[in-house]
Amino acid sequence: MAVSSYPEPEAKTAAKKGAGAALFRWVDERLGIEEILAFARHKTVPEHAHSFWYYWGGVSLFFFLVQVFSGVLLLVYYRPGVEAYESVRQITYDIRFGWLIRSTHSWAANLMVFAIFVHMFSVFFMKAYRRPREFGWWSGLALLGLTMVFGFSGYLLPMDDLAFFATKIGLEIPASMPVVGTLIADIVRGGPDVSEVTIQRFFALHVVVLPLVYVPLLFFHMWLVQRHGNAMPPAEEAKPEAERRTIPFFPDFFSRDMGMWLIALNVLAGLAALYPWQLGPQADPIAPAPLGIHPEWYFMSTFQILKAFGRWFPGEAGEVLGIGLFTLVLLLWAIIPLYDTRTHAGRRARAATWFGYFVLAGLIGTTIWGYWEI
Amino acid sequence: MNYPFWDVPIIGSGGVIAIIAIFHVMISHFAIGGGFYLPMAEAKALREGREDWMRTLRRHSHFFLILTGVFGAVSGVGIWFSIGLANPEATSTLIHNFVFGWAIEWVFFIVELTAAAVYYYTWGRIPDRLHLKIGWVYAFTAWMSLVIINGILTFMLTPGAEWLGVAGTGQESGAFWAAFFNPTYWPSLVLRTLVCISLAGIFALVTAARIDGFAEPKLKTEIVRWSTKWLVPSFVLMPVCFLWYLWTVPESQRQLLNLGIATIGQGTFTQVTRSALVSVMTSATILAVVYFTAWRNARDFNMGWAAAVLLLALGATATTEQSREMLRKPYVIGEHMYSNGVRRSEVEHFNREGYLSGSPWAAAHASESAGDAAPDRGALMFRGQCLACHTTDGYRPMKRLLQGRDRASIMNLLGTLHEYGENSPYRAFMPPLVGKPDEIEALADYLDRVVNAGAHTAKAE
Amino acid sequence: MSEPNTPENARKMEPVEEQPASAARRAFVRLGVGAVGAGYASAIGYPIYAYLATPAQRAAAAAAVTQTQLDGADKLPAGSAMMFRFGPKPALLIHHADGTWVAMTAVCTHLGCTVQYEAPENRIFCACHGGVYDARTGANVSGPPPKPLTQFRVEVTDGSIVISRA
Repeated sequence: MAVSSYPEPEAKTAAKKGAGAALFRWVDERLGIEEILAFARHKTVPEHAHSFWYYWGGVSLFFFLVQVFSGVLLLVYYRPGVEAYESVRQITYDIRFGWLIRSTHSWAANLMVFAIFVHMFSVFFMKAYRRPREFGWWSGLALLGLTMVFGFSGYLLPMDDLAFFATKIGLEIPASMPVVGTLIADIVRGGPDVSEVTIQRFFALHVVVLPLVYVPLLFFHMWLVQRHGNAMPPAEEAKPEAERRTIPFFPDFFSRDMGMWLIALNVLAGLAALYPWQLGPQADPIAPAPLGIHPEWYFMSTFQILKAFGRWFPGEAGEVLGIGLFTLVLLLWAIIPLYDTRTHAGRRARAATWFGYFVLAGLIGTTIWGYWEI
Repeated sequence: MNYPFWDVPIIGSGGVIAIIAIFHVMISHFAIGGGFYLPMAEAKALREGREDWMRTLRRHSHFFLILTGVFGAVSGVGIWFSIGLANPEATSTLIHNFVFGWAIEWVFFIVELTAAAVYYYTWGRIPDRLHLKIGWVYAFTAWMSLVIINGILTFMLTPGAEWLGVAGTGQESGAFWAAFFNPTYWPSLVLRTLVCISLAGIFALVTAARIDGFAEPKLKTEIVRWSTKWLVPSFVLMPVCFLWYLWTVPESQRQLLNLGIATIGQGTFTQVTRSALVSVMTSATILAVVYFTAWRNARDFNMGWAAAVLLLALGATATTEQSREMLRKPYVIGEHMYSNGVRRSEVEHFNREGYLSGSPWAAAHASESAGDAAPDRGALMFRGQCLACHTTDGYRPMKRLLQGRDRASIMNLLGTLHEYGENSPYRAFMPPLVGKPDEIEALADYLDRVVNAGAHTAKAE
Repeated sequence: MSEPNTPENARKMEPVEEQPASAARRAFVRLGVGAVGAGYASAIGYPIYAYLATPAQRAAAAAAVTQTQLDGADKLPAGSAMMFRFGPKPALLIHHADGTWVAMTAVCTHLGCTVQYEAPENRIFCACHGGVYDARTGANVSGPPPKPLTQFRVEVTDGSIVISRA
């Protein structure tokens, strides 16, 4: 980290003596670090009552980096296929600090999904999706979707009974799609039921396919942020130029970003140490499903909507209606930049905001409802 | 079993104490540290003739008065209610020993509260020097209330040989001062005073965050940075004082920490070590976060960051207090009374005569349920001896801890707990299980029902 | 994105006021931040090192010991057992009632507690979570253990017993 070098104004750095400064100059001469720093100092970030929300994209990124790092470490001992459970058992109970690496990976996955949700809703309510940031919104949505697939595929890999049944239940969501549902579910599972074959393909998806898609998309997303800068909420845009405040990206915003990352790291380590992730008994496909089995919390809302519609409209109709409603909301959510285009607050802008409240309340409400019914 | 038991589902009775106590600890330590912060800052402002500092301090004292006078005082009373319900035997022992200690504390407490109110309401109405003196009166009396209560708190971990020598003879109050200035008294007093000082800085940052950094950049920068400095003494001295504290803790309790550190790689390490590690880490994070957000960006330090620092402080307080409490295992009063209220001296008596037989509550329960069925003695055993630390399905839940065990396996475990052999893996954490064989069988029956009745509904976390 | 106003100029001025007297303080602040940073780096680095080094350390420990001799152990009465150390880990030697000898590791395969031989039931029991193993083969019979206990080869000679890796 460049923590120790950034407080110096340019002139001072150049004048500094010592081995550290000499090394910096040597690298700088070849890579032009000072140019990047100068650019970063020049870049500014709006500062206002809601600027707290600007840090959540960074927090999501932090958890992603943690995931890459801890995921690679898990890969050192994990063996997909028949031995999956045994290898995770070894990691959790046998290999020194394996429990910590695994707990970190599991907790960071949940925290990452949470951070991205916060990031998405803050972008939505600050209306940061408006021109010219539409692609930022869409690439962000895609990243959230991929993150959830990451979570879903990773959840099965330990192959304990909870993972097994949660995956079984979770696959009901794609399976309930009309016409193609069963076909898709069969392809994903690699057969009529979750088995070693499923682990193998989830593993391939989790560690090869998804990262290959995710990383370029993430760079695209961050390049867009860099290109367009942080969006200002409408309330801030309405202010006259002279009343708007900014702070330099570097070092001010950057050092607070580091503060936020430290807090995130601390929360993560605290959760991993105090509530280590448990490993249940090995999955037994013949055993009856434990009562109240449910998918991970970030699928709970979808799961509950499908369940409720299935109850209200028995048969095919319920599934079609549930999936239909879900798809409609998702579609409206995705095309919001095309609908709410005005820069100033108007009827459409208000409608978009209300739509946001509706979705947020719906997500939270159906999730709580889902847990209530377990 | 002289008292009825308080059955709090999910979080357990200890959880109720914890929730109240953690808030109380945060606010009461602020009440003491802030007592020094206000007059010191006021003296600095008077010396330098800073009207803007005075304005900020006045605002801070308003926040201070409300927070400490209302939440601090109310949560303190809350601790009394909850400990009396959760562990009446231990509370009774404390009262019998320290009733005069509390009387003294109340004197200081009343002066403290009065001084805080007078301090706030006389800003600008009385001469500056007199106002400053009131601030110092407050600081002194607030700190004295810590001096007193610290004796009682540390007593529970280390009652000291002299008190233990007279425990149970009715002469305990003769050993008042020995029990009060017990082995962990001084390190704990210094540690807590350091925590007070750093919490004063952290809470002052809340007030500082409310200053408009664009309108008054100089004032804001100065106040934020000056408040940040209050964190320095404790972070420099804390490690040393912590080692001093550990050095005074009895060897058997230190073992809990050592055992935890030795087994950390396997992940089976003790809860006390987990909490202690998180506490150390969170304290380091507070320092770094305050450096990044407050010291480096003083002008833009806003309420969001202040809240983040406060939450971290809450986390550090919670884990520190939790590990301090757990360090006492398996006792609630070291070497004297086990965490479920059974005195060490009573173990043999209970094993011979039965745990339930002497209890008026078991008798009442029996007469109530006479007629329809025999009273569930297993449930009573569970309430009496397990409920102090365990719940059925929440905190340290029986359903998870005993998962997969059948009746015979449960009985095996209860046997190990009852024998309480030198090599028992539970000896370091849990009290012995007392009672006659038939009572223990009844407990096994009860636990078997709890664990295996809904075996397939039990949901792993 | 271009600077709409210049509050930055104002802020750039502030620290300058404090500069002169603060060289020592800057060094102190750096030391503090450096110490916290080093603490974090080691708190993250050590577990990762230990995690990656586990197989190497295990192999080294295992390679160090291939056999151990227990003098006078042949006097162990039939129907009883004794604990001994095989390398760094506890192990169990059982002299069965029918005169056969069995030796195996005494580390429970569940969470690594030390197991004990229970003569009346003729079984090996782990008190931590109630795991039960067969006293002849070391097979995990009931409870949480996922794997059997590893057996050793036993050679009974006059005056001592030699235990070696099977």
